[in-house]
Amino acid sequence: MAKTIMVVDDSASLRQVVGIALKGAGYDVLEGGDGKQALQQLKGQRVHLIISDVNMPNMDGISFVKAVKQLPAYKFTPIVMLTTESADEKKRAGQEAGAKAWMTKPFRPEQLLGVVQKLVLP
Amino acid sequence: MALLGAVAAFTVAGLSWSAATAAAVLLAIGIAMAWHGHRQHRALLRLLAGYVSGHEHFGEAVAPVWSGHIEASRAQMESAVASLAGRFSGIVQKLDQAVQASGASSRSVEDADSGIVAVFSKSENALGSVMQSLQQAMSSKAEMLAQVQELNRFIEELQQMAADVAKIAQQTNLLAINAAIEAAHAGETGRGFAVLAQEVRKLSAMSGDTGRRIAEKVSVINAAIVAARHSAEAATQREGETVLESRDAIGAVLDDFRGVTDALVAASEQLKQESIGIKSEVSEALVQLQFQDRVSQIMNHVKANIEGLPEVLQQQRLQFEQQGALQPPQSQALLKALQDSYAMAEEHALHHGKSAPHAAAPQPAEEVTFF
Repeated sequence: MAKTIMVVDDSASLRQVVGIALKGAGYDVLEGGDGKQALQQLKGQRVHLIISDVNMPNMDGISFVKAVKQLPAYKFTPIVMLTTESADEKKRAGQEAGAKAWMTKPFRPEQLLGVVQKLVLP
Repeated sequence: MALLGAVAAFTVAGLSWSAATAAAVLLAIGIAMAWHGHRQHRALLRLLAGYVSGHEHFGEAVAPVWSGHIEASRAQMESAVASLAGRFSGIVQKLDQAVQASGASSRSVEDADSGIVAVFSKSENALGSVMQSLQQAMSSKAEMLAQVQELNRFIEELQQMAADVAKIAQQTNLLAINAAIEAAHAGETGRGFAVLAQEVRKLSAMSGDTGRRIAEKVSVINAAIVAARHSAEAATQREGETVLESRDAIGAVLDDFRGVTDALVAASEQLKQESIGIKSEVSEALVQLQFQDRVSQIMNHVKANIEGLPEVLQQQRLQFEQQGALQPPQSQALLKALQDSYAMAEEHALHHGKSAPHAAAPQPAEEVTFF
């Protein structure tokens, strides 16, 4: 059965670009337009890995990661931050919130797939 | 000035009528000048207030329009690129299906057990075995023919033996005739011998008969063997020709089939190479499609900064109204806010004039930070 990965980004085109890369590798993809919307979508779903942007309206990526880690069902779900941000203090904030990896955009699809395959739980 | 003149007139001339008149005139002039100056000052203040207020109105008027255009452009670009990415996604899915189909096709061609190439190889081996069996059968027939040929020698021997029997019968007949003549010369005493000679002649005639029948049967057998041999030779020749034709036909079919499988293998290899090329192109296109996200962020940062301009101009007006100080609009705060909103290194670089606006798009980062 295919693993499900949630992609959270306020850019629809970026979500589609990530979706193309993931679907091509056989993953199912769930999309969220911002942190708040993604939290709603997580309810009742089985998601194996989350890829999130940092700068988003309504709820930013760091707050989203913190909120996800409060959900018992997603306490151990790996989260990858995929963002244009590359400042060390932002990375530290992501790490402290509970993210597992930090990737900067633009990314290469094969590079993203490498990270996903490394982190996705069986 | 006029007031000072009036005081001076009083001081110099004392309290004379003329001095008082001069002082009064000067005082009136002074008051008039002061009133005029005050009016001019108030007019200047009104002018400045209008100017500062105009600045603020300018900011309030243009900033939303600029911001609106930027947002509209950003939204249009977002929508267009999202649509483009959606279509691209569809193309990629179809390409994936095509590549998977070509992979299945390649496997059906190249699979070691059930692929067309393997089937062809097995068929070639099997047909080779059939040809070998046919050629072995041909060899066996040739051996059989050689053995039939050998029978000729026995036929000749049998004919010779039949001739020998006829010759012996003839000689025995001659002996019997001579014996009968001798028995006749012997008279009564030779009568018994004459009977014996007569019986010998009969036996000789019977032997001669038997010899002829043997010779006839041998001739018949010989004719039958020759006919059979001729038939067998003709059949062997026909079969040999058939085997050769079959071999040529099988060879031609195998050659045709080999041509087809070689073409399939070449097509399969080409598809494989093309699919690798397509994957690489798709990967590169996915990198390039991410430009919208970056441009959108930059536009958002600039838009937010433009929206902060009216507040800066409002501050200028309030400062003027409350403190009477007229300061030019300060860019530092606005630029600081813009800088604080940056997410990308290229924005910081551009802010400090380190990169031209038309610089090439940034390359994908090659490192990932794992926590």
